[in-house]
Amino acid sequence: MDWLHWLFYVGVILGAVPVMVMAFIWLERRGLGRLQLRPGPNRAGPFGILQPVADAIKVLTKEDIVPVAGDHWVHFVAPLVVFAPAMLVFTVIPFQEDGGLVRGLVPDLNIGILYIVAVSSISTIGVFMAAWGSNNKYSLISAFRSMAQVVSYEIPLALAILGVVLAAGTMSLTGIVQAQAVPFIVMQPLGFIIFFIAATAELNRTPFDLMEAESEMVAGYHIEYSGMKFALFYLAEYAYTVGISAIAATLFLGGWKAPWGVGPQVGVLWLVVKILLVFMVILWIRGTFPRVRVDQLMGFAWKFLFPLSLINIFIIAAESLAWPGLPWWLLFPNTAIALVLVVVWSGLFRLGGGRVQV
Amino acid sequence: MDLQAVAFYVLAAMLVVSALAVVLIPNVFRAGLFLVLAFFAVAGLFITLGADFLGAVQILVYVGAIGVLLLLAIMLTRDVHHGSPGNRLWLPASVLGALLLGAVSWSLLNTTWADKAAEMPVPATAALGASVFDLQNGFILPLEIGALALLAVVIGAIVLVGEKK
Amino acid sequence: MAIRTQPVSINIGPQHPSTHGVFRLRVTFDGEVIIGLEPIFGYLHRGKEKLAEARTYTQFIPITDRADYLASMSNNWGYCLAVERLAGIELPERAEYIRVLVGEMMRISNHLMAVGFFLNDCGAFFTPLLYMYREREKLLDLFDMLCGQRLNYNYMRIGGVSQDLPVEFLPALKKFVQEMPGYIDEYEQLLTTNEILLARSKGVGVLSPEQAVNASVSGPVLRACGVEWDIRRADPYSIYPQLEFDIPTGIQGDTYDRFYLRIQEMRQSVRILQQAITGIEQLPHGVYRAHVLSLVRPPKGEVYSRIESPKGELGYYIVSDGGVSPWRCRMRGPSQLNLTALRDMVLGWKLADLIIILGSIDIVMGEVDR
Repeated sequence: MDWLHWLFYVGVILGAVPVMVMAFIWLERRGLGRLQLRPGPNRAGPFGILQPVADAIKVLTKEDIVPVAGDHWVHFVAPLVVFAPAMLVFTVIPFQEDGGLVRGLVPDLNIGILYIVAVSSISTIGVFMAAWGSNNKYSLISAFRSMAQVVSYEIPLALAILGVVLAAGTMSLTGIVQAQAVPFIVMQPLGFIIFFIAATAELNRTPFDLMEAESEMVAGYHIEYSGMKFALFYLAEYAYTVGISAIAATLFLGGWKAPWGVGPQVGVLWLVVKILLVFMVILWIRGTFPRVRVDQLMGFAWKFLFPLSLINIFIIAAESLAWPGLPWWLLFPNTAIALVLVVVWSGLFRLGGGRVQV
Repeated sequence: MDLQAVAFYVLAAMLVVSALAVVLIPNVFRAGLFLVLAFFAVAGLFITLGADFLGAVQILVYVGAIGVLLLLAIMLTRDVHHGSPGNRLWLPASVLGALLLGAVSWSLLNTTWADKAAEMPVPATAALGASVFDLQNGFILPLEIGALALLAVVIGAIVLVGEKK
Repeated sequence: MAIRTQPVSINIGPQHPSTHGVFRLRVTFDGEVIIGLEPIFGYLHRGKEKLAEARTYTQFIPITDRADYLASMSNNWGYCLAVERLAGIELPERAEYIRVLVGEMMRISNHLMAVGFFLNDCGAFFTPLLYMYREREKLLDLFDMLCGQRLNYNYMRIGGVSQDLPVEFLPALKKFVQEMPGYIDEYEQLLTTNEILLARSKGVGVLSPEQAVNASVSGPVLRACGVEWDIRRADPYSIYPQLEFDIPTGIQGDTYDRFYLRIQEMRQSVRILQQAITGIEQLPHGVYRAHVLSLVRPPKGEVYSRIESPKGELGYYIVSDGGVSPWRCRMRGPSQLNLTALRDMVLGWKLADLIIILGSIDIVMGEVDR
């Protein structure tokens, strides 16, 4: 039945993920509009539901402009290299308990979370290809900055994930969900905070969205792209956002489990509710905060998130050794330590300044 | 022919072709991209052998870090559009390369390898971790030495690009 | 072992979403740090001062509107004040009150927009801007009720204003003035102690008081440096001597101070509006203009008169030769002179800071180029 599994997954991923991403794009535009005291798109279809469809049609009928002096082949392949990893992340998220109707269909990769971290590092190559194929000095600068940002924030992200892996004792996502008698967001609040901030930076979203800032001069590595290729970059960003929300829901919120085991055991729906929750918080932050400067961004990653994530690992490792299986009452010392650390460290760490003597 | 053999031959062909493309293609950036493709092929070979952890780490480290670094260095170089400069020594180099290939293949094929049929334990990661951190025959010391070497590299990099006051 | 670097010179503008109009900057970078700055403007020059010489004094009023198109009433006021001083015209009290009302409404509207766009430049993606626009829309509706226009009002005339307040204007304005302090509290709640905003703007783009005074900087930029200079107090005009208000000043002269100062000025404007409303309610309806010919011929002479526009000291220097047109009319646009201090503020900072500092000065290219 492996063929069935494979076919099911190819069909689901190729078909359902873009539709889901478009639904989330609609949600973002309406949600952002509501945050900004305006309705958001409401012309194309009832409540603007057909707006992403209209955007897709518009983008497909646009002229595809390719810079003459750039490398055409590289320019063509770059959006694919950026988009594919975003889709690949969805192949390992468990949506239901194995058994019953979906027996044999739920993914259970041994190295689940490591696979996700590895696959999401592939899109950096795509960013470089896009910048190179555009033959534009500012695209190059922007790609370097984007890479520096992604690489710097990958480390606290991976360390926060490592804390979850230590607590669960397995890298398989199904195993992690099943090990969450108490969701890890409660047991490891510091890990969740670090993961969330690092994920926001990985996704290039406000407050770390320097790449898309019109107020910055360098206009992003996808400046020379038009039409469907640009849409692929845009879709990749949203697909990756939904993917990270799904990962956060699986790692920290308990995946397909109903809260406290009560309620209908429809795994997929609980997962979708949790993904929506995380996505709404990411959206909320986008509509609220200004963005940081690039040197403040790097300073924040290396001087604030990185040491905190190391301390988090030490604490989780010590607790896993002393009380294997992490009993639920560890949430109290963990929360206390998280509060103290965050307050003390943010008191010591100050962003800002940075004038150079000219 | 079972699936594993087919997968091995496809991946091996991909690896050899990309490796040849790296040295033969004049456009340096595309050569770098083919190197990344070669890394993918190696990861695939790891996975056919059942070493899933190694395959994922190969992608994470080689493609996500070393490949990126390589492409970064290529993009920062000027005059890359002119392609690789010609090399007068290409004939002796290819002859030497072919001789090396022959020697390595001959020695590989004529060695009796121990543990040729040992099965990869599933899950492989736990077995890997256990053997590395085993207190008797483990590899903790080389791991720590490697970590120290990496620390020296990071400090050296910071010193090199630090602002001259 | 040092890596060889080279400073690079880059053009920002004239078409750029963040340069507040058609404005070009040639910036020299050393890596990310700005080591040289050359502003190039003139893209919006429309020859207003020459146009003045071919029009009568009253015909020039709509043209002054379009200089600082975001604070049109102030432009009108500055010009009419200059001509009235030259011709020695006294205004009826109701006309002065009406001018103060619309002038302070203009100040609030301008500061709402300035702060909103400043936060937009900081990257807050339109949310604070749209919140401030909600209030600005109410102000624009009030202006629409008053003179039929939302942006370029052409409302003031030599000797007064062009029409009296409609009956429904004062109640609507009273309602607005009552609600506004609550809205300003709402803005302050999210923004004033926002960590990211503080990190981006505190200590950034500092202008010392000596530099500011030397460069003829005026308005909120000057007051943010700590210099307490407001034309409404220093060189009073209209009925400002009778009104009670404070002059907020900043501490360091950095970007944060310029932003916060504008919020405090909005509060003071609300205070002035309250006093002006109580004042104008006691005056009889209908006396809104002095008896002055539209084709006014001021006697020969020259005058320089200035008002405190929302952006700074707006001055008009008019030379009259006794005819129906001015012989020379020179506009001193505060944005232009504030812009000359940009270089001092920006050197040593990074590109993202340049955009923020430019936004905090609050320039309008119509006034810079005329």
